[in-house]
Amino acid sequence: MLPCGEICHDIREGAPTDDDEAIARSLAGDLDAYEALVTRYSALAHRTASMLGAGDEAEDVVQEAFVKAYRHLATFRRGAPFRPWLLRIVANETHNLTRSRGRRAELVVKLTEVDPAKGEVPEDAAVATDRRSRLLEAVRTLPERERQAVVCRYFLQLSEAETAQVLDLPIGTVKSRTFRGLARLREGVARDLI
Amino acid sequence: MTSSDDLEAGLLALGETLDVPSPPPAEVARAVRARLESLPGADGPPAPVAGAVRARLGSVEGADRPAPVRRAWRALRPGARPRRRAIVSVVAILLALFFGATPAGRAAVVEVLRFAGVELRIGDPGPLPSGVPSPLPGERRVTLEQAREQVAFAISVPSRLGEPSEVRVSDGGRVVSLFWPGVRLDEYDGVLEVAFRKELGPPWPDQVNLGTSQAWWIPAKHGLTYLPRGGGEAPARARLADPTLIWQQKGVGLRLEGVGDLQGALEIARSAL
Repeated sequence: MLPCGEICHDIREGAPTDDDEAIARSLAGDLDAYEALVTRYSALAHRTASMLGAGDEAEDVVQEAFVKAYRHLATFRRGAPFRPWLLRIVANETHNLTRSRGRRAELVVKLTEVDPAKGEVPEDAAVATDRRSRLLEAVRTLPERERQAVVCRYFLQLSEAETAQVLDLPIGTVKSRTFRGLARLREGVARDLI
Repeated sequence: MTSSDDLEAGLLALGETLDVPSPPPAEVARAVRARLESLPGADGPPAPVAGAVRARLGSVEGADRPAPVRRAWRALRPGARPRRRAIVSVVAILLALFFGATPAGRAAVVEVLRFAGVELRIGDPGPLPSGVPSPLPGERRVTLEQAREQVAFAISVPSRLGEPSEVRVSDGGRVVSLFWPGVRLDEYDGVLEVAFRKELGPPWPDQVNLGTSQAWWIPAKHGLTYLPRGGGEAPARARLADPTLIWQQKGVGLRLEGVGDLQGALEIARSAL
């Protein structure tokens, strides 16, 4: 998904090859190593900020989150996964932003055009697109708590444990909010399709 | 008709097709680096605090963690409970300050604690600063309503004090200062960056309970310096500050200055929660 993923880092001479090494070198003050870490997680961080409600201010939120992550790297438990730790900061920054603007955290995303599958007739493709946009609309209108759990689990493809860390919730709460969100979606989608 | 698996598979597939615009990662990395380089002390992430004291304490359990930084960070999460180890290490450090440090062997600054956007440099601060306090950068008088529009956080007004007699906004909306006769309450955006530095000697500050969270009480007059956002120009000179209670709520740091006794300060702070 990343335009410049792991491979780019690997071929750059001296660039750290995994998170742990990049973090160790960043802690020692190596900004090249931190730059590599930012590059690695930039797209995911933007996706998270946008989907949790940062809207067109996602870029500011992400930059701020990376600056804060660097300044608090000493509190990161070495050996723990970096991704949910970082996304927790991104989610927190997004939350601060939406709260300070006094607005609801909207899900701001667009559907991309999907090439029709081989052999698929245009009508079927249109139906599929229509179905996707209805499902997206149904997710948009979920209550915020349920929507955030669903977004983390399915759009960001985080595990339950990661979602719990990112949203700062007990894992049981993640499970129940996801469950309630899915139930609501199922009702809504079923109603629409009949 | 839509089974659970269908729905979950549909959501995953939908997620794959969602377009989230984002700038090229290398550009983001450069921008972040530029910001880090412009910050003071950009040589590395802030070193864990408590080095000097830790060395003296030897291997006190839990003291190998940068407790105050971690505490401030954890407190950002609503409902997070401070870790027992962190408390143990802070208490150990303060006990060491009381009983272990002899005036002759003590460095000018024995300990640095960071909490709620305030850096406490504890040790032998030398003579207290004198002179009239200078305004904060960009400080201007506004009404409470104007202040609410100009800052990015919710301003708390302690009900115990009522309407402030004066309101000032400073540093591009980072700080709001509310004034009542003899009392000043500064509220500032963000508790991760250091906004104020306090230099103090004995009597040492106390950690106290405020509702379900923690606060620090600085019982004596001390030197106070404001650190402009992002480093900015050279910080203003230190001024003499009265006893102060500092705490944080919802990512906003607060310092209440001028209430001489802890109970009174706590009552006011509680009425702002």
